[in-house]
Amino acid sequence: MSQIKLQNITKTYQVGEDALVAVQDVSLDIQSGDFISIVGHSGSGKTTLLSMIGGITTPTSGRISFEDTDLSAMGSDGLSEYRCRKIGFMFQFASLLPMLTVKENLLLPTMFVPEPERTYASKLDDKAAELLRSVGLLDKINAFPGQLSGGQQRRVAIARSFMNNPKLILADEPTGDLDEKTEQEMINFFKAMNRTEGITFVMVTHNSELARQTQRRLKMHQGSLQTLPSGE
Amino acid sequence: MPERFTLSSLAIRNLRRRPLRTTILIAALTLMVAALVFALSFVMRVNASIQLTSERLGADLLIVPTGARGAAEDILVESHARSFYMDKSIIERIRKVAGIDKLSHQTYLVSLIGMCCSVPESMVVAFNQETDFVVKPWLKNKLGRNLRKGEAIVGEESAFNISLGLVETETQLFGSPFKMVGVLDKTGSGLDTAIFISDDNIEDIIKNSDAKIKADQISVIFAKIKKGADAYKVMSEIENNIVEVDVVMRKDIGKSLLSALGDIRKIFYFTMILSTILSLFLVWAIFTAIANERTREVGIMRALGAKEGHVVKLFLFEVLVLGAIGSIAGIIVGTSLAVLLAKNFSILKNLPIDIGMLSRLLIAAAGLLFGTGICVLGALSPLNRLKKLEPLIAIKQE
Repeated sequence: MSQIKLQNITKTYQVGEDALVAVQDVSLDIQSGDFISIVGHSGSGKTTLLSMIGGITTPTSGRISFEDTDLSAMGSDGLSEYRCRKIGFMFQFASLLPMLTVKENLLLPTMFVPEPERTYASKLDDKAAELLRSVGLLDKINAFPGQLSGGQQRRVAIARSFMNNPKLILADEPTGDLDEKTEQEMINFFKAMNRTEGITFVMVTHNSELARQTQRRLKMHQGSLQTLPSGE
Repeated sequence: MPERFTLSSLAIRNLRRRPLRTTILIAALTLMVAALVFALSFVMRVNASIQLTSERLGADLLIVPTGARGAAEDILVESHARSFYMDKSIIERIRKVAGIDKLSHQTYLVSLIGMCCSVPESMVVAFNQETDFVVKPWLKNKLGRNLRKGEAIVGEESAFNISLGLVETETQLFGSPFKMVGVLDKTGSGLDTAIFISDDNIEDIIKNSDAKIKADQISVIFAKIKKGADAYKVMSEIENNIVEVDVVMRKDIGKSLLSALGDIRKIFYFTMILSTILSLFLVWAIFTAIANERTREVGIMRALGAKEGHVVKLFLFEVLVLGAIGSIAGIIVGTSLAVLLAKNFSILKNLPIDIGMLSRLLIAAAGLLFGTGICVLGALSPLNRLKKLEPLIAIKQE
């Protein structure tokens, strides 16, 4: 059984009187534990595709299912629960809330877990500390985003995406602001999480070197998806 | 145990982010609620005084010389010293009107500081002891006998004003010595500021002072009507047959004051409506700005799993905190103004009663409800727009 199944997905934006096709007739099967990279030029539809998989926007046509459940049948609250319990997002921009400390930013997604299922606050604190240690920022746990560099903020956002034990990480240019060394450390961290926790990764990147380190490589071109042969 | 990070703590952080904007909004709400509380306190105090006076008068009809209706209300409701007179023979003409049960009359004499009396300016009320049903029920301690010549009883505030407190004190009224032999219970009406003497004294007063009154004159007749009789019919009959008098029904006492207050009340209400619209617009504008500013944050929160309900709760908490702080501040300011400025409004200064604690609490509750209600109402439209935004569109907004 596929974890994620995309069937003939098309997304069209209306820009004035013109219809802009961002994603065109894309079909894709993602298995649990896959580590997939998507490369492509700016505006090729990568972020839109990722957003549709994550349920933060809906396709104009086609069907997306997660573990055989059709996303279009979930409704607004159902999609929120799906994002909360199953998905970890890494955005391509700074996405920390400025009035919250690093620790509070990590705890933010846990606030949306329904009360009976919520883990004890102390365990969540431990988990936040553990994730920050993994991305090398434990010493910044009480800092505010404004006190961090762009790269540090990016690493906090990476740590945050793992807080709710997601089954699928959707990473949009997750290492954009990082230097080469830190970038590799983060990729190693992703690989470790993929291997040990079985978390599925779909990562959009411009960096072909990084893409080569993933199991499957896909390329978006003018809204269409192509599979790249290994080694290309 | 570590403190749980919650939506409400997040809302408080949000309010602290823009202290100036938060302060402006709270100040606007404070002013609006203060205006409401002040206006309500003013209107309720006037209404309560009039109602109490009419309830405690003990008479169904108040009969005064033609044109003296306003002056009579001045005395009864506002405690102003006034004098007006009519011929005593009118009593017998009224007694013949069908439906009349009991009649009692009083004569009002204005005492002026330094001219007639050794007490501060007061209304001196000469009443007929045989027929009285207005004054005696309020005597604190029953005298057990009629007032004698040269004896007086005083209203509660008068007693306080002339530092009597204790009875059996001697003072000068209209050139004659008077012994204060009793104090009335607080009536909450103009009677509280008056000094009461028996009408047997009028003859001496006329002799010993410059009081412009003749022996056969009275000021007011109180009438009780028979059970089952129609007060309106009785009033009409008196007014139609005796042109020298005006009749005020108990329920109409204070009507002229209310009518005089009409324009002030209209100005209050108009100001309230304008300030409400202004506040509503301000709340809407500020929350639209807040919603625009936080669209991206909301998009991120939605992407991290927040439901529409979480967004609503977060913003509603902010709105309620702002509304509650602004309203409570407004209640304090409005109540303080109502109490302090009452001394500067001649219309309130003379009203015998203040509104009670229950009324103050009701006004406060109305202020709280109004302030928070305006806040919620103003924030509704931007909040609704924000929660309905697709997360991706929200995230992409700068």
